[in-house]
Amino acid sequence: MSKKELTCIVCPNGCQLEAMLENSDSGSLQITEITGHLCEKGPEWAEQELTHPVRTVISNILVESGDLPLVSVRTDAPVPRNMIFDVMKEIKAAKTKAPVAIGQILIKHPAGTGCNIIATKNVRNV
Amino acid sequence: MNTIKHDVVVIGGGPAGLAAAIAARKSGCKDVLLIERDKRLGGILNQCIHDGFGLHKFDEALTGPEYAQRFIDEFNSLGIDSMLSTIVLSVDGKRNLYVSSRKSLTRIEAGSVILSMGCRERTAGAISLPGTRPAGIYTAGAAQNFINLQNIMVGKKVVILGSGDIGMIMARRMTLEGAKVEAVFEILPYPSGLARNIQQCLNDYDIPLYLSTSVIEIHGKERVTGVTVAGTDKNFKPIPGTERHVPCDTILLSVGLIPENELTRGAGVQMEARTGGAGVDDTFMTGVPGIFSCGNVLHVHDLVDHVSDEASLVGEYAVRYLDGEIKPPESYIKIEPQQGVRYVLPQKVSGMRDFTLSLRVTTPSRDRAVWVKDGDRKVARKKMIRLHPAEMIRINIKKEKLQGAKVLEVSVE
Amino acid sequence: MRLYKKIENMEKQYDVCIIGAGVVGNAIARELSRYHIRVAVVEKESDVSMGTSSRNSGVIHSGIHYKPGTVRARLNVQGNAMMSHLCRELKVKIQYIGKLTVAQDEEDIQTLHSLKEQGEANGVPGLEILDAAQMQKIQPGVGGIKALLSPSTGIICPYGLAIGLAENAHANGVDFYLSHEVSHISANGHGFRVRTAAGADLSCSVLVNAAGLYSDRICRMLGITEYSIYPCRGEYLILDKRLQGSLNVLVYPAPRKGGAGLGIHLTNTVDGNILIGPSNEYVDEADDYACTAQIIELLKKEGHELLPWLSTSDFIRNFSGLRPKQMPPEVKGFKDFVIESRKDVPGFINLVGIESPGLTCSPAIALMVRDMVAERLPLREKSSFVAERPGRVGFFHELPPDEQAELVEQNHDYGEIVCRCEQITRKEVLDAIQNPLGVRTVAAIKYRSRAMMGRCQGGFCLPRIVEILQKDFGYRPEDYILNSAGSRLFAGSVR
Repeated sequence: MSKKELTCIVCPNGCQLEAMLENSDSGSLQITEITGHLCEKGPEWAEQELTHPVRTVISNILVESGDLPLVSVRTDAPVPRNMIFDVMKEIKAAKTKAPVAIGQILIKHPAGTGCNIIATKNVRNV
Repeated sequence: MNTIKHDVVVIGGGPAGLAAAIAARKSGCKDVLLIERDKRLGGILNQCIHDGFGLHKFDEALTGPEYAQRFIDEFNSLGIDSMLSTIVLSVDGKRNLYVSSRKSLTRIEAGSVILSMGCRERTAGAISLPGTRPAGIYTAGAAQNFINLQNIMVGKKVVILGSGDIGMIMARRMTLEGAKVEAVFEILPYPSGLARNIQQCLNDYDIPLYLSTSVIEIHGKERVTGVTVAGTDKNFKPIPGTERHVPCDTILLSVGLIPENELTRGAGVQMEARTGGAGVDDTFMTGVPGIFSCGNVLHVHDLVDHVSDEASLVGEYAVRYLDGEIKPPESYIKIEPQQGVRYVLPQKVSGMRDFTLSLRVTTPSRDRAVWVKDGDRKVARKKMIRLHPAEMIRINIKKEKLQGAKVLEVSVE
Repeated sequence: MRLYKKIENMEKQYDVCIIGAGVVGNAIARELSRYHIRVAVVEKESDVSMGTSSRNSGVIHSGIHYKPGTVRARLNVQGNAMMSHLCRELKVKIQYIGKLTVAQDEEDIQTLHSLKEQGEANGVPGLEILDAAQMQKIQPGVGGIKALLSPSTGIICPYGLAIGLAENAHANGVDFYLSHEVSHISANGHGFRVRTAAGADLSCSVLVNAAGLYSDRICRMLGITEYSIYPCRGEYLILDKRLQGSLNVLVYPAPRKGGAGLGIHLTNTVDGNILIGPSNEYVDEADDYACTAQIIELLKKEGHELLPWLSTSDFIRNFSGLRPKQMPPEVKGFKDFVIESRKDVPGFINLVGIESPGLTCSPAIALMVRDMVAERLPLREKSSFVAERPGRVGFFHELPPDEQAELVEQNHDYGEIVCRCEQITRKEVLDAIQNPLGVRTVAAIKYRSRAMMGRCQGGFCLPRIVEILQKDFGYRPEDYILNSAGSRLFAGSVR
C-alpha cells in the first residue's frame, strides 16, 4: 500500500486528491481509493494522471500577411505529457497564411499523436 | 466638437464589457454603445492563449481567445454598436464622456454608463524593489503581450517574482518556447495563484516555487544579470543569512492586479479601499446615479466566468435604471467584512432583491464556514472544505432573509 | 542598431568642445550657438541629460541657502531670474509655486531670520517670514510655528530643460556626439585634441569640462589633480498623480547643523507627481544608481508622516541621483562651485562640483563660460540664431477639450492615445521617436513624450510603442534598447 497526492487540474477548484495505491499480482499499480475531490471528474482524472498523464498543448504558429504575426493554437485533445515537447517542435516549425479561422486545423497528428493543432483565434488577411 | 447621445454606454470591450453590452441589448435597450481602445474586441483575453476559461459557463476548457469569440459573435449578431480604437478621456458625474479616436474627439451624453475597464498589473515601482533598473524587468502581462501577440521573446533565463496566475502561466509559456525559468519566488507563505497552475505550469516542468522568499535586490547596469533572494519572516522582512544570488537575464513580476479606476475617480465615484474599485449596491450602481461598474475594474476576479455573470446582471440593471425601475432606497443595509474576510461586494444592498455576495478570505484555511449574520441572526452560511485568498467565494442571498436587517456581518468561523 | 546620428568623417575641427551633455553642458552649448563659432558636445551616454540633470528634485531654487559672495549664490539668483524667459523660448514647463521653509522651534526661527538676511544679501526677491496662520493659508495642514516664504522658488521639468537646451543648440548648429566617451585629451598650447572610445577625433581651441560626476577624471586627463568628486546618492520615491493638489507649495524643514543636503521632503513636479526624497549617502561609483531597501523604507515612513492619506499603491517608482560633491564623506558640507579658465592649461574652461543648485544656475553658468570663451575667441553674433524651439509647452492632455478636438482634426495622430496613464498621444510619441538629436532609445521616448512614466510604468504602452517602432520604423526585436548598447529589451523573435 502506498499513498500519492495529486492536484487535480480539471477545473479552477484544483482539488488536492489522495490516491491509495496497491501493487497488483501482475506487478502494476492498482488504485484502490481516491479522496479529496469535489466532483466526479476528480477520480477519473486521477486515474488517468497515474496511468498515463495527458495535457493540452497551447502555443502560437507563425502567420504570414495577417493582422497579427502569430495565431494562437491548441491541441484539440490532450496529448501524452511526455510528448509535449515533440508537439512543440512541430508547432515551432509550422507556418501558415492569413486568413486563419478559429477552429481551423493547422497541423494534423503532430508527432504521431492522434490529435490536431487547431487555431483558437481569427486572423485577418492584410 | 461633435456631441452624440446614447442610452447605455459601456466602457471597455473585454469580457465584462461584452457581457454587459449583450445583456443590455437583450434587456430591450436598442441604443447600446461599447467603446474599446484596442482595434479588436476581447480585451486581455486575446493574449491569454492558455486554456481553462469557461468551465463554469460552458462546461468546456476554452482558451482566452475562444472564450472571447463566443461573446464577440453574439455581440455582432445582436448588431450592437461599437467604437473600436477609441479611448475614453473622461467621464463626469452627469454621465458626459469625452472620447478620442483617430477620426475625432467626441462628446457623448449617456443615459447610463457601465464601467468595465479591467485592471492593470502592479509594477516593480509599486512594490519598491531595491537595486538597479536595467532592461529585462517586465510585468508578466506585458511579457505575455510581447510573446503571444507580437512574436517577441523577452528573455532566455527567467526569474518570476510573485506566484500570481499570470506569472505561472508565463513560466510554462516561456519554458515551451525554449527559455529556462529558474524559479518562482513568493513572499507569502502560500501561493497567490490557483493550485492547478502550480501543478500544470510549474510542477510539470520542474520549475521550483519558493514560498516565504522574495527578491531583495536586482542586479545589472544595462540588462538584468541576476537577483538576490532571501527567505522572509512573518512580517515579510528578509531573514539575514538566507540571501543567495540567482543569475538571470529577465525578471517577470506577477505581484497583483490593481483595478484601473482613473475614469471612475474622475466621475466623482466613492471608492472602496478594500477592493480598489467603486463602492456599489446590489444593482452594481456606484454612488453616482446611472454609473455602474463590473468585472475587474470593480474587484479583481479569479475566473472570467464570474466576470461574465456579474457583467450580464449589470447590463440588465443599467437598462432598468433608464426605465426608472432602479432608484436608491431610503436606507441601505450595510455589508461589513469581519474576521477572516478581506472584502465583500456589494458593500451595501437595498434589501429589495436577491443578490450574490462575492468575497475573498484573508488567509488559507480548511473546513470552515462563511457566515453572513444580521446581529445574532443567521442570514446565510456556506460550508467550505478549502478557503484560499486566491479564490473568490460567492453566496446567493434571498431578499426574504434581509427583512429588518441593518448591517450584515460576514466572517469565517 | 544606431544609438546616435552617425557623423561621417570622425576627424573634425571645432572652436569649442564641451564635454558632458547635462543641463550645464547643454546650456553652454546653446549660449555659444548664438555666435559664429563651431561647437561640439561630447557625451558618453546615448542621450543628453542621463546623469545628475535628470535625477534630481526639479526645483528652481531662490538662492537663500548660499553665503553672499559665493559663485553659487550669485549664479543661483541670476539663473533663477533668467529661467522664466528661457523656458518660454524652449517650451519647457516651469511653475514658480514658492517655498516654505518651516521652523519647529526657536532655534529654527533664528535660522529662518538668518536665511532671510542671507537671501536678501544675495538679492532674492520677496522673502517674508510668516506666522502659523499665514502659513496654513498657503498650505493647509503644514505643521510648524513659523515659515520663511520664498516666492521665487519654482519647479521645472529638469530633463525637459536639458533636452530643450540641447535641441535648440542643435537647431542652431551645435554637433552632438552621443555615446562618445572621451578616452584621451591632449593639449598643445594652442588647442586640444579630444578622442573618444567610439572613434571620434576632435580638435578645438577651447575645451569646456562640464562632465559633472566625471569632471575630476577629465581634469586628470589634462594633468590637473587638485579636484576629486565624491558621488553622494539621493534616493527618491515617485507618488501617483492621484495626490496632485495635496501640495500647493514646496515645504522644506529649516536646515539643521551637520546636514549635507536640504533634508528629506516632498516636492511637486510640473507633471503632477509628488517626489519624496532625497536621501544622502556617499557611494563609491559615479554610476551607482541602485536604490536600497533601507532608504526605500525610510522614505515610505517619511511619506506616510507627511501625507497621512498615502496608500501603498501610490508609490509608482523609485530612482536615485548622484550629487557630484567636492567634500569627502568624512568632511561633508558644501564647497563653492569651481568655474575657472585655467592659466596652466590655456583654453581649458573647467567646471567642477556643480551640484545643487546647478540646474537653477545653468543659464547663468552659460553666460559666465561665454565670457571666458570670449577672452580667447572672437564671438560674433549670428543673425540666423533662432531662440525659439518649435512646439508647445505641455502635453495634449493638458489642453481644454475644444483645443484637443481641433488638434485631432488637424492631425489624426493626436486622436490616438498610446500611453493610457498619462494620456500621451501617438503624435507625441512619434515626435519623441523622431527627436532632433536622433536618439533611438526607449528611454529617449520616455523622457521626451512622458509615455511610460505613469502609474503602470509602461505595462500598457510599452507594447504599443514597440509595435509602432516595428510597424512604422522597421525595428526588429534586437533593435530595441533601453538606454545603452548593452540594455537590449528583447532576446529575439519567438518564431
